[in-house]
Parts: sequence; C-alpha cells; structure tokens
Amino acid sequence: MNGSLPPFHLLRARTVNEAIAASAAHSGSRFLAGGSDLLVNMRHGISRPDLLVDLSAIDELAEIEADEQGIAIGAGVRIASLARNEFVSRYAALAQAAVAVAGPGHRSLGTIGGNLCLDTRCIYYNQSEWWRKANNYCLKNGGDTCHVAPQGQRCHAAFTGDLAPALLVLGAEIEIAGAQGRRRISLRHLYVEDGKAHLALANDELIVRVRLPHPIRSAYAKIRTRAAIDYPLAGVAVGLAMSGAVIDTLRVAVTGTNSRPFLLAGTETMTGRKLDDNVLQEIGRLVQKQVQPMRTTLTSANYRRLAAAALAKRLIADLGATNAD
Amino acid sequence: MTAGSCAETLRRRGVPLIDGIEKVTGRANYTADLEHQDALVGRILRSPVSHGEIIRLDVSRARALDGVVAVITGDDCPYTFGVLPIAMNEYPLARGRVRYRGEPVAAVAAVDKATAERALDLIELELKALPAYYTSDAAAAAGATLLHNNKPGNIEREVHHEFGDLAQGFAKSDLVREKSFSCAEINHAQIEPHASLAEFDSSNGRLVVQTVSQVGYYLHLMLARCLDMDSSRIRVIKPFIGGGFGARVEVLNFEIITALLARACAGKVMMQLTREETFITHRARPQTDIWLKLGMKSDGRMLACECKVVQRGGAYAGYGIVTILYAGALLQGLYDIPAVKYDGYRIYANLPPCGAMRGHGSVDVRHAFECLVDRMARELGLDPFAVRRANLLRAPTRTLNDLMVNSYGLAECLDKVETASGWRERIGRMPRGKGLGMACSHYVSGAAKPIHFTGEPHAVVYLKLDFDGGVTALTGAADIGQGSSTMVAIAVAETMDISLDRIRVVAGDTAVTPKDNGAYSSRITFMVGNAAIDAAKRLKAILIAAAARKLEARAEDVECIAETFRVGTGSQSALPFSEVVAAALVDEGAITVKGSFTCPPEAQGGKHRGGAVGSTMGFSYAAQVVEVTVAEDTGLISVDKVWVALDCGHAINPLAVEGQIQGSVWMGMGQALSEETRYLEGLPAHASLLEYRMPTILDSPPIETYIVESNDPNGPFGAKEASEGALAGFPPALVNAVANAIGIDFQELPVTADRIVEALNQRRRQTRLTGVLKAAS
Repeated sequence: MNGSLPPFHLLRARTVNEAIAASAAHSGSRFLAGGSDLLVNMRHGISRPDLLVDLSAIDELAEIEADEQGIAIGAGVRIASLARNEFVSRYAALAQAAVAVAGPGHRSLGTIGGNLCLDTRCIYYNQSEWWRKANNYCLKNGGDTCHVAPQGQRCHAAFTGDLAPALLVLGAEIEIAGAQGRRRISLRHLYVEDGKAHLALANDELIVRVRLPHPIRSAYAKIRTRAAIDYPLAGVAVGLAMSGAVIDTLRVAVTGTNSRPFLLAGTETMTGRKLDDNVLQEIGRLVQKQVQPMRTTLTSANYRRLAAAALAKRLIADLGATNAD
Repeated sequence: MTAGSCAETLRRRGVPLIDGIEKVTGRANYTADLEHQDALVGRILRSPVSHGEIIRLDVSRARALDGVVAVITGDDCPYTFGVLPIAMNEYPLARGRVRYRGEPVAAVAAVDKATAERALDLIELELKALPAYYTSDAAAAAGATLLHNNKPGNIEREVHHEFGDLAQGFAKSDLVREKSFSCAEINHAQIEPHASLAEFDSSNGRLVVQTVSQVGYYLHLMLARCLDMDSSRIRVIKPFIGGGFGARVEVLNFEIITALLARACAGKVMMQLTREETFITHRARPQTDIWLKLGMKSDGRMLACECKVVQRGGAYAGYGIVTILYAGALLQGLYDIPAVKYDGYRIYANLPPCGAMRGHGSVDVRHAFECLVDRMARELGLDPFAVRRANLLRAPTRTLNDLMVNSYGLAECLDKVETASGWRERIGRMPRGKGLGMACSHYVSGAAKPIHFTGEPHAVVYLKLDFDGGVTALTGAADIGQGSSTMVAIAVAETMDISLDRIRVVAGDTAVTPKDNGAYSSRITFMVGNAAIDAAKRLKAILIAAAARKLEARAEDVECIAETFRVGTGSQSALPFSEVVAAALVDEGAITVKGSFTCPPEAQGGKHRGGAVGSTMGFSYAAQVVEVTVAEDTGLISVDKVWVALDCGHAINPLAVEGQIQGSVWMGMGQALSEETRYLEGLPAHASLLEYRMPTILDSPPIETYIVESNDPNGPFGAKEASEGALAGFPPALVNAVANAIGIDFQELPVTADRIVEALNQRRRQTRLTGVLKAAS
C-alpha cells in the first residue's frame, strides 16, 4: 500500500543499439516506452527494475513509413498518433483498436510496441504490495499459488492489449532487435499461452517496428464495462476478404480472454463459403471453444466467453454487409 | 448598475461558483497542496486479516530506525470515536482485535515517505485468526462469532415500525405483490483522496488540523475526545475539498491518527492516503437486501406497504443506526400510503465500515419500491405515471411517521418529464431493444434533529462590515464542491440588494467561523441559507437606520436598491453604499451581526424510537425518465437520454441546482450500471479508479433538467435541497426501462452486462423448454 515509485536509474538511449547494450549489461533493467503499464506496476511493487532504459528519444522507433509492400510502424509511435495517421487509417481494425485503448491520456503516452508487450493482468496480481502480501502473493509474482486456478500449474493472467488482435488479422510481422542482431517474425509467434511469461522476447530484445502488408477489410471491437479507460473483457478483430458473396479470407483474433492474443484456428475452412448465418454460428462456436477466460477479472469468465463470440459474429456480419455495398 | 436590482440579476441567471475560477485554474489548495515541506510524513500499518486477535504488536525496531520520529499503536489512544454517542465502538488504532482487512493497527511519522514505509515493514504484528463473515447471512447465522460482544447475532440495530392498519390495507387491495431485491455496496469515489495535515505546538498545547472533513465540528469534538484535550486548544480548518458525498461526514480514523502522531512528535505531520486506502476507509452505501410487499387497488392507489431491509454494515457502527432508520423513515413522505410497516436490521460483518452516502439510507429502498410499483402497474394495465399520480400527497400534511410535508411539487415534476420525454407518444412503441422507464424520489432538506443535539440553533452565520465596505460572511458550513459558499453569498446579496462581488465568504475554520453542523443531509441551503438571510436582514436594518438618519427620513421609508439608499423615487435624496457604511460605522465602528436558524420541535419527527431520523423542514421531490438501448448479444446497456425534474422549492442559484441535479442522476447511473465494491475474502478488489467502475464521460447521456419551484413556506426564498433528491430515482427508472426494452425484470443492482446476458440466456432456455414440453403434450 505505498503507491510511490521505488528508486531507479534512468538511461535515455539515442539508438536501438545503445538501448540493447545498456539492457544487456544490466540484468535488472527494463525498457521504458510510454510507461503507462510499467510505472503503474512499479508503484504497486510488482516490478522493481534498478535501471529503466528510456526508448522515447530513439528516432528509428518514431516513424511510420509506407512502401510498395505495405507500411512499417516504428515501435515507439504513440497510440494517439497511430489513431490519426493517414496510412494507418486504411487498416481499419488497427485504427479502431488504437482509439479503443484506455483513455486519451494513456493514448498520448502509450506506444504500439508497449501495447504489444503489455504485461498480462489479473485481479490477484494488479494490486498493491499490501494487498498481495495479505493474500500470500501469487504464482505470477512472489508466490506459489495461482488464486484463479489453485490446482493448476500455470499463471492464467490475461493479455489485454487492444492492438495485437488487430495486427494479427492484418498479418503483421515484427522486427526484433537484440544483442545477436535483428530478426523478423510473424506477430503470432511473439506470444505464449503462459500468463507469467507470455512474450517470446529475451530481456535485452526490443521490438523495433511492426510491418503490415496491404490491408484487407477489417474491424476491431472490445467489450468493457465502461466506454473508456477499461481494458477489454474480450476484444475481437476480424479481417475479411470476399470474392463476390463468397468468403475468400477470414481471420479472427481475440484478446482479453487468454494469456495471449491469438488467431482463431479453423477460419480457413470458411473459404469459398457464402457468408451466411451458418458461418456466423460456426464462428461463434469456434470462439467459445478456443477462448479460455478464467476468473482474472471481476466480471465472470463465462460472460467473457459469450461476449467474445457475440463480438466476432457481430463484426463479421457488419463487415460482410459493408462488403456487399 | 442601471438594469434593475442586484437581486433580480442574481435570480435571473444564477452565478458561477464564487470559488470556481480557483478550482479550474488549479490555484485552489486542497489538503495535499498545503505547505508541508517541514512536515513529517505519516503512514499507517493496516491489518492483513479480516478478523483477528492481536497477540503481539512490537514497534521497537520501527522506533529505532533512523528518521522515525514517532510510532503509535492502539495503546496510545484508549478512546473510541464514532457518530452516535450510544454507538462509538471504534478505536482510531485497533486495540486487542482487528475486524476488517485494512483496519489501522499502528502509525508512523518519519522524515520522509521511504523511511516511514521502511518503519512499517519493521513493525512485528502477530494475529490469531478469528472466523470472518462477509455476508449479512453468515454474520447473523446462529453460532457466529460476535464482532462486538454486546451485540448478539451481530445485529447492530433492529428497527420495527408500524403505522396504520396494515392487515386491512392488504385485505382491501386488488393486487398484492412481494419481491426481494439486492443492491450492491458502492463507494462515494470522490476524486480527492483522503489527506490530513496536523500540527501540535507543545509550547502552548494547541493543535491545528487541516483536513478533508465535511463536518469540522464533529472532528473538533472527536479530536478533543480521543486526544483527551480541552476543545478550546483545537482548531480545525477546512481547505478546498474535492468532493464528499458523505465519505467525510463522520470523523475518519486517519484524521485522528494524524493528530495523535502530531502530538507524539510535537510537530507537524502530513498524512496522504493512497486511493486504495481511501477506498478502504469507505463509510459508503452498504450492500442491502430488501423484501417489499405492496397492496394496490385496481386504479393504482396504494393501500399498504411492508418492507424488510437488511444492511451489511461492515465492522463498526459508524452511521449504521441512522442509515437503517432512514431506510424505513423515507418509505414515507413521497406518496400517500395509509399503512406502512418496516423491519430493519443492520448487521456487522468483517468488512470496512459503511456510512452515509448521497441519498443516505433512502436509495436502495426507493429502488425496490419504484421497481415493484412499476411491475404492479404493468399487471394492472396502468401507466406508470398514472400510478404515481394516484398516490400524491397534498401539502401541507404530516406523514404517518410524523414527517412534515410543507411543499410538494411532485405532480409538476411528473408533468414536466412526461411531456419532455414524449412518454405518451413513445411508450409501448419503442423498437426492440429500446425502452423507457421512469421513477420518482425525494430527500430531506437537512435533518431537523441533529445527531449531536445541544439545543443550540441549527445554524449561525456572522456578517462583518467594516471601513472598506466589504461584507464578510462567516460560516462553519463546509463547501465541498456543492456550492454552499456561493449560496451564502447570494442569500446575503439578494437580501441586502448589494453586489455579489462585495461579499467574501469565510467558511469552515473553527477559530473564526461560528459552529455549524456541516455538509450532510442536504441541510446547508435550508438552514445556513435561512441563517444568512436572518443576518443580512439585521445588517440591512442597521444600514437603513444610518441612511435614514442621514436622509432625515423615517427608516421605514428608506429603501436600498442596487446598493443605493433612497427615499421614494427622489434621486436627489439617494445615498451610495459607501456613504451609508461610513455613517453606520461612526457610532459603533466595525459592525458584526449574527443570524441564526432553528428547526422548531414540531419539525423534529415523531415520538417513536428513532423518529427523529428522516425529520426535516422540507422534502425535495424528483421525477425522471430514462431511455436505454440494450444490446442483446453483449448485454451492454447504453443510456441514451435522461429527463429529470426536481422540486427544490426555489432555485437560489439555478446554475448550481442544474449541476447538482445532473450530478445526482450521474451518481445514480453509476450505481445502476456498473459501480460495486468487491471483496475477495475481505480484500478490496475494487480499490482503484480502474476497478471501481464509475461511468466515464463517454457513458454519460444528455441529461435534460427541469427545475420545479413549489416555494416552500419555510425555506430560504422558498428553497429546499437540490443535491440528493434526484439520485434515488435513476436506478429504478433504468431497471424499468430495461424491462420495457427486453421484457426482463432485474432484482439486483448493478444491472451489469453479464447479468443481462445470463437473464436472456435463461429466458431462451425456458422458451425452448416450454416449446419441448408443449410438443410432447
């Protein structure tokens, strides 16, 4: 129950290499982008890095560029800028997800890279030091029991970033820089279904940019108690390409329900089918089957399951309808 | 000033709050902004368990830490504090036993925050766990361990009131229905976190406390009691306050703890609670179970009402007895019901203590009532407006429980919102998923019998007029954002017909301002407003007398219009304000006058036990219509629009009244839709503005407000309260609108999306089952 930031050193890196070198040299370091997630966790005593490597002055991370392949978005681009960028506006799901993040203050600080690397959340985890101590801590932080699933072996904290599902259906790749050089992976390979270690990133690795191919029709929507501020209880992105009345490509990605954002498996079987109520019902069932909401929020897990399915159906129906116009 | 009198200008437009500019420009100093460079930092060690015996509490290592100036525990204060003299069962720091997670156990004052927190870590606390209860049922179950040994069954207070012939009322009714409702515990969630700055001067034994209190007078009394000090050595000052809503009506543990620390240090201590600690301090609306039975004639006339209320009050008494009494008393005063029976139970549980919150005691019961009335109307094929109109009171009257109703604008409120919302044209013709609902509510304009009954006037205001021509109003009334200081200034300006700019209001400093019972029960406009008018009349009489002498006229012939004193219309005999002030001062120097207001004994409620609670000189009345859209797939409700009318007697400041009505509606909306405190084994899982879901501006509908002026015979300029009356109508209007939209009646608050989806799924299952059964038969 303190709410004050513990002391730490701050290094303002000018280049990606400088940031990585600093991070590699200090095992207790964390990268700092917008800070809207990390600093809150530090105030709660969850994270206690002794060095913060501030990425906000690195020019390479701040740009959005378009070329013949699509667009490349620097990981340090602020979510607010993302929401009003003209290149990004062609990627509807991403633009919609960007304005759906938290509130205006958070969006002006938060970055796309930070949002992709958002820590997982749980009602037993995002609490003060006094609270967690009184509750004997938890599997994700300092304890040995997951209060959400005490019999289980893993942490069920949920990933709640809004941008990831949008980027997943848009076919994003990310460029990662580390001490060993740079690599490019599909965004879906960034995430692991483990609330305690949901990112396949080494401590000294850093997302440099997000690459998107040319857009397909897409949309994002989230369920939350209030129309602003709240993390998604369930968030769904849909990408849809049609050939006439027939589905060409259908992608669905979900956030807020699992320890990772994920692309719904089985949507490829919809290719070649007419977008009708049967398809919607099947997608609804697929979502219900694949999401794994647990009691990580005060809102019931079952509701999150049903809401995710409802959102997916609604978004596909709406996109299909727009497509027909 | 050529265009009419000052008073007319004020009345026509209303004025922005006199302290508004300071607030919106950030110049206003709230407690945490007060100069405290030289202050020590106070921190509190809180119980990690819900219920336990303190086996060992060793603070020696904390005391020995460099930079720690004082460490105090329950041993340092053997006095309880609380609200009612008969129910003060809480120590500022626990003694012997802790009864909820987060209860203060020890406190530290140190040179800085880091040191104070290290010191807390060094305190050794050993507890023996006792059984803990988180629901009224569990706490009241046979054999449950008692939280307080003198309260069997963990029942803090039972209330049994019966008025009129209930059996006959139900027997004569054409329709009798009963229903159980449950309303979640909520919190005020005022934006300013709790803070207190205390300074003890050991050279003269004086204590100065600046804090977030809504009632500096109560704090003054409790500081004297808990620190065992002569009250003349204490001064309580109110800085700017960022909202109260009842959170700061009762004295709070951290305020006494800060003062105890200051004395222990013989210095100055700043205590700033975190948002989590602010939530844990709580004192808000309790989780409430309501069982309600109503009897109605086929024309909608209500003949009998029986109600049982169980409130989960938390670990200590606080305002509990008052809340459980309000819940019953305010079943009356809104409609004419010939028989009313009430059984109330306030239960102790191992959770933070509940207390007073906007609409104190009335909101959850009103919710149940307005929901059930609507459902019975539906069953009888009556319009919701028609049913309310069939049960109106006629003022002046006294209710069965002896509450005075001197003015009653409910009929006009109903007319306003019915017309404005287009109710008649739209109800029953809304598309699927859209609905309209309505409800009524009321609230007291100040408790006619204060809790600390002394026989003194209910309010006293001083006015000072000196050589500079400025009028300074001195009041103990706490402006906590509701605009009470502005109200005092307007009352004086309007009575004297002088410019508002000439008036300065000094509020809430027990060294300077007269005692006031503070900001609770919406009492300030009615009581302090009347006292301010009384004082202004006295000051005006002195000035008129001085002007009369100068004009060589009779005082009764002298008028003051727009700061000019004159006889008749003759402009040659006009005197400006400054000349009259100078003339008045010649004889006696600086002038101080005192005005006061007292509620007469006949206003102070019935003779039955607890009859004083609910008593008031005037009730405000409200009606509202809420329009919703319910998304059946996600269960999300959007509130599309609200039309609300409030009878506040007379709007002294229409701008402020409108703001208060909107605030009430908005707060009711939070309780209806999303706000709820949630405890996991007694740990508050809601204790942040992220998890405690107050609506955001994006969730806020357009609110159309209508002011109804019934001109109360006793109110200042005819005014009554305007800050609480419109709250209780929102939740039932919303639930009624949801029923109108999707055909499902909800028994629980808040009406969350998951409850909607669950109810719709249940209906689908039932429909399917009915279909299967039909096919089989």
